[in-house]
Amino acid sequence: MSEPKRLHPIAALVNTLKQLKELIIPFVVFVVFGSRGNGWDLVYLIGSVSVLVLVLVFGILSWVRFTYRIEHGELRIEYGIFIRKKRYIPFERIQSLDVSQGILQRPFGLVKVKVETAGSGAMGMEDSEAVLTAITKEEASQIQKVLVSIKKRERQNENGMENEAQPSEGTHVYKISQGELILLASTSGGVGVVLSAVIAFILQFEEFIPYERVFQGFEEFAANGVIFISFVMFCGFLLAWLISFAGTMVKYAGFSVVKADHDLVITRGLLEKRQFTIPLNRIQAVRISENPIRQLFGLASAFVESAGGSSANEESSKVLILPIAKKRKIAELLEPCLKDYQFEPYFKAAPPRAFRRYLLKGLIITVPIVLATSLFFRPWGFLSLLLLAFSALWSWLEFKDAGWSLDSGILTLRYRSLVKSTVFMKKTKVQSMSIKQSPFQRQAQLATIQAMVKSGHSGSGGKVVDLEEEDVESIYKWYSHEAGNEAWENQARPLQ
Amino acid sequence: MIPEPQTRISERALTVWRISGGIHSLIIWFIGAGLLALAVLFDWPLWITLGVIALCVVYAYLFVLVFPGLRWKRWRYELREQEIELQRGVFIIKRTLVPMVRVQHVDTQQGPLLRKYGLSTVTISTAATVHEIPALDVEEAEELRVSISRLARVADDDV
Repeated sequence: MSEPKRLHPIAALVNTLKQLKELIIPFVVFVVFGSRGNGWDLVYLIGSVSVLVLVLVFGILSWVRFTYRIEHGELRIEYGIFIRKKRYIPFERIQSLDVSQGILQRPFGLVKVKVETAGSGAMGMEDSEAVLTAITKEEASQIQKVLVSIKKRERQNENGMENEAQPSEGTHVYKISQGELILLASTSGGVGVVLSAVIAFILQFEEFIPYERVFQGFEEFAANGVIFISFVMFCGFLLAWLISFAGTMVKYAGFSVVKADHDLVITRGLLEKRQFTIPLNRIQAVRISENPIRQLFGLASAFVESAGGSSANEESSKVLILPIAKKRKIAELLEPCLKDYQFEPYFKAAPPRAFRRYLLKGLIITVPIVLATSLFFRPWGFLSLLLLAFSALWSWLEFKDAGWSLDSGILTLRYRSLVKSTVFMKKTKVQSMSIKQSPFQRQAQLATIQAMVKSGHSGSGGKVVDLEEEDVESIYKWYSHEAGNEAWENQARPLQ
Repeated sequence: MIPEPQTRISERALTVWRISGGIHSLIIWFIGAGLLALAVLFDWPLWITLGVIALCVVYAYLFVLVFPGLRWKRWRYELREQEIELQRGVFIIKRTLVPMVRVQHVDTQQGPLLRKYGLSTVTISTAATVHEIPALDVEEAEELRVSISRLARVADDDV
């Protein structure tokens, strides 16, 4: 497979369409602001058509110029219409091949292969990847085979003569069921719907209460306005929810995770089949998220933070590996494929005295709102007092969810912002760690801990506020490479 | 209590911070002056005028006189064989630990103000985060940069 090859001609069409998609906004502007005088219409028509033709010609030319081949353990791509460019990617540097199949590729049995390398976007190279827009499945699997064999040779060199496990077909880790898919789709981003439904429900009751007679002076308009606005909002939310429902159904249909050798392979998608390969050693952290609605049903989802991948592609850094599962079952599902992690550690919570601070933090925001609304919107504004209760409840949840663990050498941080997150991190994957302490925290002997891991080209991680000072220090010491050293200990003296 | 990092940053940082605080205050004062002019023109109530003046004065007082001192007092760092530790903050004290094995590259940089005072800033980047030690003596910064990159190379580990 060393002779230069072209992509399937359909690639020319795909590229052209992609170009056109980018042109659509200037095009619309052009048409809208252009067609004023009658005499100009023809000029505009000719202009538009020639732009179309030009784009098509460029699409075809760039397809003609684009060749790829495998040579000397490198994937060699040559492209460019005016300026000829060559990109040689050594297979050792390839992090993963993402195979996907769009609507245009599907009828011809073609796939799109995205080659991701570890090159960092920050160092001047714009895109750390190469895309083969349309090639046959056989060729894709051939590239995959070459990649696997080269990677394996590399690994064997590293490990000496250690026996490699047989290249197995891979073990199924997880496959989404129809019920789970519907559950996933219906609970994704549904907070707003439920909230507005509740508001509408309350307002329904208000209609039965003849409050207009009770508060004679209260403007009818305001009342109708509120109902009308909340109705419109509810419809808006419902529409958004339906869209997200359909979107999720299409996106996550047939979701499956397979563990093959040293990789996790994730396949999903109904219209566009996508496949992600995540090398296990590129996994930086595992994150379990529970949004409030799913939490009510004891459900959660799991992500892995992966290094590498292109900066443009958000999805390749934070990859969903368990879209939805009973929280109790997550450990059971993930532990076979992520062996070093311990998913049910013993958590140490924030001390009870921290609750006061969590409560205050919520109230600092809500009290002014409540005061203002109660003052300015007399009768109805008092409803905002409910906000206080809600804020207190939320603070209690935040307090209850704050926790940490160092079980079996894995740092686990658990915290809640809107969604409850539990982040599992290995010491070697944590890029830096910080502790923070405000004067008030110092007085209460509490502190904040934050650990950062690499995720794509930037950072991600976890942060827990108001843990026991001693606990935070013990985590900090665990992370320090020199905490046990004599010099370190000798310095030890009180801060103040 | 974990021992505090030992090395302080250059004392000239104080001057630089005061000057840049002064420049910021000047900008605030310009905005304030504009507001005052509007207040006079449109007969705004007196409390707005007084409030604007008070804000301008307090801002300058804090950012020129108070904060630079506090910041300088808190700013410490320490280079150890296997890690760098930073401590900073005015009220909230933040301490950060960066292991050598995680360091990707070290840069020094210098703005016009820092150059005038013979200072420069060291930036330490990991794969996920960027950390800054501001206002070190130029030679010290250079030394630090060289030794961090040397130590980072020695420390070998998988990413």
